[in-house]
Amino acid sequence: MAGLEVADGDAVSGPETGTHGAPPVPGGGSPPPARGGGSPPGWPAAIGLLATVVGAVGFVVAFVTNAGTAWLGGSLAAALLGLGAALAYWGRDLAGDEVISGPYPVPHDDAPGAAALGGDLEQSLHVITRRRLLSKFLVFGAVVFALSQAVILGALGPWPGRSLFVTAWRPGRRLVTIDGEPVTRDVLAAGGTLVAFPEGHTDAANSQIGLFHFFGGEFKPQPGRETWSPEGFVAYSRICTHVGCAVAQYMDEVQMLACPCHQSTFDLLDGARPVSGPAGRPLPQLPLAIDSDGYLVAQSDFTEAVGPGFWDAG
Amino acid sequence: MRDRRLMRSLRTAFGVRRSPLRRAASWLDENLGGGSKLLREELRHIFPDSWAFFLGEIALYCFILLVVTGIYLALFFHASQAMVVYHGSYQPLVGVPMSDAYSSVLDLSLDVRAGLLARQVHHWAALVFVAALMIHLLRMFFTGAYRRPRRINWVIGLSLLLLVGFNGLMGYSLPDDLLSGTGLRIAYSITESIPFLGPTMASLMFGGQFPTSGIIARIYPVHIFLLPAGIAGLLGLHLGMLWLQRHTEFPGPGRDDRTIIGTPMVPAYALRTTGYLMLVAGVLTAFGGLLQINPVWLYGPYTPWDSTTSAQPDWYMGWLEGAVRMMPAWDIQIGSFLLPAVFWPAVVLPGLIFTPLFLWPWLDGIALRDHGFHNVLTLPAERPGRAAIGAGFVTFLSVLLVAGGDDVFASAFGLSLPVLLRTLQGLFFVAPPLVALFTYLVFRRRSQRWPATGR
Repeated sequence: MAGLEVADGDAVSGPETGTHGAPPVPGGGSPPPARGGGSPPGWPAAIGLLATVVGAVGFVVAFVTNAGTAWLGGSLAAALLGLGAALAYWGRDLAGDEVISGPYPVPHDDAPGAAALGGDLEQSLHVITRRRLLSKFLVFGAVVFALSQAVILGALGPWPGRSLFVTAWRPGRRLVTIDGEPVTRDVLAAGGTLVAFPEGHTDAANSQIGLFHFFGGEFKPQPGRETWSPEGFVAYSRICTHVGCAVAQYMDEVQMLACPCHQSTFDLLDGARPVSGPAGRPLPQLPLAIDSDGYLVAQSDFTEAVGPGFWDAG
Repeated sequence: MRDRRLMRSLRTAFGVRRSPLRRAASWLDENLGGGSKLLREELRHIFPDSWAFFLGEIALYCFILLVVTGIYLALFFHASQAMVVYHGSYQPLVGVPMSDAYSSVLDLSLDVRAGLLARQVHHWAALVFVAALMIHLLRMFFTGAYRRPRRINWVIGLSLLLLVGFNGLMGYSLPDDLLSGTGLRIAYSITESIPFLGPTMASLMFGGQFPTSGIIARIYPVHIFLLPAGIAGLLGLHLGMLWLQRHTEFPGPGRDDRTIIGTPMVPAYALRTTGYLMLVAGVLTAFGGLLQINPVWLYGPYTPWDSTTSAQPDWYMGWLEGAVRMMPAWDIQIGSFLLPAVFWPAVVLPGLIFTPLFLWPWLDGIALRDHGFHNVLTLPAERPGRAAIGAGFVTFLSVLLVAGGDDVFASAFGLSLPVLLRTLQGLFFVAPPLVALFTYLVFRRRSQRWPATGR
């Protein structure tokens, strides 16, 4: 920083604000504006400072009287804008327009400072490198130590293992609503839908399903899933296979389910196959059964991982 | 000299005290180990005067405002997902179970005095911060300010943009409203899509399988300490290097790579820039007071079984959202492994965008065979190739940004969403090269009128 030679001798003063933007010529120029006479007026800054005082008082009043956000923000903004305008005006117009020039710190290839620094560093490093074997051991030791610290990452969370493939659904476990009410065949009329969870696990986000009751013959099961949809009851995972939002938009006129996040749309009558949008895989279907008391139950857990794709889910 | 000595003896003789500023200067010199000479020189530090240098200042002042408002918010925010039942003043949610975090945001918004003002100013400042950084970056790009000796400061600036954008995302996630949680869900899923490592990385980041009960408590120190400390450190480095190297200057009479012309820091520049700080703060305070943003009470608490239409991230994440929406549904099966389609737009694309951006000063140097020192800027028309690449890049990001709100645009203008999406997918490939070509042709014609310079 000491390299900066302040060119006091070169200092020139533009006559007023008009020179801003237009680059001045060093060495030329006119004397600084004299007080009074042709110098810019002070009243613009005074108006700004008046706004500051009024705004500051207004803010205190608004705060004490618990006025609304608009009053608080408006008064504070007036105070800040007034002060800012006054200062900017002062710096731009009242302070004069002294223009100075100086050298850029342009380095040379053979700058003596850099050469000396390089030499010093070389010498210092030599203290280490002259013990060749020991210095290599130093590097090795430092690397081993640094790598060893990666083990701390393990404290951040569990290893996923098989957990991504498991939900709370078990063979025979009843479907319940978010309020824990069991779902019977009579709860949901044909054409209806509701959100269901495994009994006792209404907080299990990954187990949420959309339950649909289709009219007789409307729903054609996928091959191999003929027994999964008793009496037209069909259950799909409600977690989008794209990036995991709740697939919450039911379009009953076309029997589609859409994800509000990225507009992926799934055809409920065709195994929840994605028909448009960025989702690439169908919503997994939960095998259902109806037990002897008329309760809807799961035949088993999902047969594939629910939710967004990941490497092992193939 | 004799006059001065005479004055001093007279002052001593008549007991006249030196002015407070002179005494302060002596005190400073004493405590700085005789540094008054250096300080005196630095007070005359030369600042070239141009509107363009204001862009970086806006960003800096947004950061200051974010810290100030953030401290106020931190006094009232609870980083806890413990379930509570809401009993505040917002009637529609009274009796609704929600996280302590969301409840505390409702309280600080609706029941803490000036709380909503602080929150809205904080949010506006974040949005303007990223915008200022991006425009600042574009200004650097189009005028060649990143050339030697400022290559490293370009890298630092880009790193700042990444940290600031990421911290914005963290802040968006903290209130634990429906949009927050949905954003986190998407972030988790994107992490999960990374081949082989994804599920483990996601689990380590979130502390388990989504949704986890400790994620807000984990994000909080990242948002209010870790990333701000990183941003402050990089900002210090950025400004320190700027101070040592000095500003670039626009071409003009008397200006060359060896001579800097401008106003001294004290008094004019210092007065102006302090004024600008107040003006930026004033404008953002007016925004925060008068323009509603992120009314979280309308969204309700996050639950994994709710989601909403027209959900939008903050604008600076819009390009990523757009890329995710535009990507065709190409989940790839590789033997018994799966490569989800979202991996390409959400993980690969940002890498493809930021890697060349980071390397740009060196790429530009190689392309133009120019590795010299430059303190004088070039005008965009003087380097038609560079301007063309920049314009193409801006177009590319703009297409992505529009795609990020495709559902909003489709319903606002009565368009068919699939048709709009197809059009944008086409523009994704066609528009950037076309705009780049157009820019090149226009600027090349103009540059032929330019006198050859060594810049």
